[in-house]
Amino acid sequence: MNRLSPEPMATLRAAADDPVAYSQTWKATHEGSVIGSFPMNFPSELVHAAGALPVLIQESRAPITEGRNLLAEFYCGYTRSVADQAALGQLDVFDAIVAADHCVQLLGAVDVIRWARPEKPVHFAQLTSAMDDAWTRPRVAGRIGEIVAEIETALGVSITADALSTSIRTFNANRRLLREFFELRRSGRLRITASDMQVLVKSSMVMDVAEHTAVLERLLDEIDPAEDGGLDAVKLYLSGHFCHAPRPELLDVIEATGVTVVDDDLYTGYRYISTDVPEDGDPFEALSSWYLERNLNAPCPTRVTTQVDWDRYLVDQIARSNANGVIVLMAKFCEPHMLYYPELRKALESNKIPSLLIETEHEGNPVETLRTRVETFVERIRRQHVPALS
Amino acid sequence: MTVAQPRKDKTRRLSSTKVGGKLVADYWENIFTAKERGKHVVWYNGAALNPLFQAAGLEWCHGEAFAARLAAQHLEVPAQAAGAEYGYIGELCSYARTHLGCAVLTHQNSNRSETGVVGLTDQQELAGKLPAPDFFVNGYAGCSTGQQWDAMTYRVFDRALPLFNVSIPMLWGNKPDAGYMRGEEWVEVSKYVEGQLRELIDFLEYQTGRPFDWDALSESMSYIKRASELRLEGMELCRQAPTPATYWDWVASIAPINFLPGNQDLVDYFAGVKAEIEQRITDGVSAVENERYRVYFDGIMNWNKLGFLTRKFAEYDVAVVAGRYTHESFWQEPQLIDVDNPLLGMAQHYLLCPLNHGLKNLQELLLRRLDEYAIDGIAFHSTRTCRAMTNPQSMLARTAETERGVKSFFFEGDVADASFYNDELFDSRLEAMLEAIDVQRMRSAV
Repeated sequence: MNRLSPEPMATLRAAADDPVAYSQTWKATHEGSVIGSFPMNFPSELVHAAGALPVLIQESRAPITEGRNLLAEFYCGYTRSVADQAALGQLDVFDAIVAADHCVQLLGAVDVIRWARPEKPVHFAQLTSAMDDAWTRPRVAGRIGEIVAEIETALGVSITADALSTSIRTFNANRRLLREFFELRRSGRLRITASDMQVLVKSSMVMDVAEHTAVLERLLDEIDPAEDGGLDAVKLYLSGHFCHAPRPELLDVIEATGVTVVDDDLYTGYRYISTDVPEDGDPFEALSSWYLERNLNAPCPTRVTTQVDWDRYLVDQIARSNANGVIVLMAKFCEPHMLYYPELRKALESNKIPSLLIETEHEGNPVETLRTRVETFVERIRRQHVPALS
Repeated sequence: MTVAQPRKDKTRRLSSTKVGGKLVADYWENIFTAKERGKHVVWYNGAALNPLFQAAGLEWCHGEAFAARLAAQHLEVPAQAAGAEYGYIGELCSYARTHLGCAVLTHQNSNRSETGVVGLTDQQELAGKLPAPDFFVNGYAGCSTGQQWDAMTYRVFDRALPLFNVSIPMLWGNKPDAGYMRGEEWVEVSKYVEGQLRELIDFLEYQTGRPFDWDALSESMSYIKRASELRLEGMELCRQAPTPATYWDWVASIAPINFLPGNQDLVDYFAGVKAEIEQRITDGVSAVENERYRVYFDGIMNWNKLGFLTRKFAEYDVAVVAGRYTHESFWQEPQLIDVDNPLLGMAQHYLLCPLNHGLKNLQELLLRRLDEYAIDGIAFHSTRTCRAMTNPQSMLARTAETERGVKSFFFEGDVADASFYNDELFDSRLEAMLEAIDVQRMRSAV
């Protein structure tokens, strides 16, 4: 059976588990700058084109301490963790910090950074979330121009069109490779656990893109095209969980019930790498196109549109992956997800797709309770939807 | 060092605000019959876009306003139950899930009637009385949930009705020259939003099939501008101690200034409020019997507990004299409105929503109010499902303490969900703050 090779995976896992340590090492070895950014729509290509390392700031696994005094407890685990990391000085490795998504909780955390580290350049380039209007594209282009100017000022460099075109091609190549892994998993030719898939994607948010691509190529080289992945009978789709990664132990509990996760629309999953930046034309304009197109490719409830629907997309993707059911992972207090969830439920029920909603938290996830719920869910699928497998 | 113990009702609410209550009740009763009268109905959320709807000859339903009304009347449960049954989780903005619950009920009711007229049986419950919309307009500043909300209302109504979005950028303060109503960022986004209002007017013309009445807009904005001036003059009179009116009186005046039609009735209402305040000053009548502490309220209103909190603070000899929700909102900069060409000033007010500022602006505004109203302490309403209003509160508390030595306390509650309020915690924390203020006073007296 095909499995991912352990040694390259260890390299990726180290970066995914400790982005700050990776950034510190990169700075020391490259004598370069590192710019931190936030999910879910920041175009990292701009930072790369400036010669710096773009790092999407991740949720820390550490319990929240100082941040508890700066952001209320009814914020999502990611934003509370960001506030905590800022208060503890763990974000000091970043030479500047840029946000592009208007999430009210995220901006609360970003304001904590401005409070805790007033000397740190922090910029918010608000990418318009209403996607259908004629004035959205020029507005987005203007904000991308702002990001360019801020990065140039912070780093004392110029971002040229040529450099940006090169960065776009480099990131597209990386995304294409990651999508190969999704296709291998979807087709059953390679068994990739959900937590390993998270490592593949999450590490790409942190690592030098060329280094990351090289590791992905090693992994692909070691896959035997003649073998399959030896998938379990019940196939599941994972949906949701924006901005940050669900805890690997939760994903492991799900698959320990004897199921295979065959696809997802998680942010630290397919959503992140769904769309390439156009390689023709003006590269700055291409980033605006990318922003608008990725919501068409993988609709997101944080964007307002009447052109596409996440629920319809989800139903289509579940069918495409031949999954028998879906587990919706919702980060507790994530408001766009809470807003959209009833529409998902309606669509899944009307298409007779079994679903299970699991809320996740920064700390204190009830793993054993979760195991029982997932086991029951899987048993229901076995009995009702794939009787031949039971 | 003493702390007053809770005792009798020591509030003296303005009687003139009852007129506003009648105006608001009449407004909603009128809305409920919009379909019978053959009117086009717009559902909207966020900014006070109603003068545009008024000039377009529409009837308008402000979602948050209706959710607030339900909560203030303790009638929110049927809507929230309908929302919960539909699938909305209890940690979601309670304004949104109350209003979306109303949407579910209205959609169910209107599906039973081809005319969209709500049946008599269903009118037993206020939550189900909103007339079905013809289209939606969203213009939400500061809160991403608010921006996403009407995309969901659109889906509750089967994706069948038009939706127009006004995108209002945050006043985040990226540029060094950024501040409250100043700097390059302020000028740029003002024009950007004004441009979208022109697009909205085109949309309204298309939806109604009628040319937009610019004269009607100027007329209604002239009334709103005058009403706003009177409101601010009344607020300014409350800088004196003891205050002749409280934050709670201004809360009672939110609905009129936020969404009632711009007309002479609106001006008369605020003239009446101001006149009563002036009369109180003449007569030496204070809004709270034995005012000993002057407190600023930061946070969105807890509509379920409006009367309760009014009495509660007064029992401790606390006059809540000003607040972010009342004083930094609702046409609060009337000098920006050019009645002959009102769109820019309207856009600027939409930007000045108290949810729409970065920390720097909010610090500036808070310190200004602390000075203007001689504030002794701050009550931070840590609003469980309103992250937009709660966002910077911890840092604002530290700013107030550091810059002005002003004490504060936090209490948990919510805009429209009573279950998040904890009375025991409220009492102990308020008492602790008042004790700290007493200690400060004793020390300064030595």
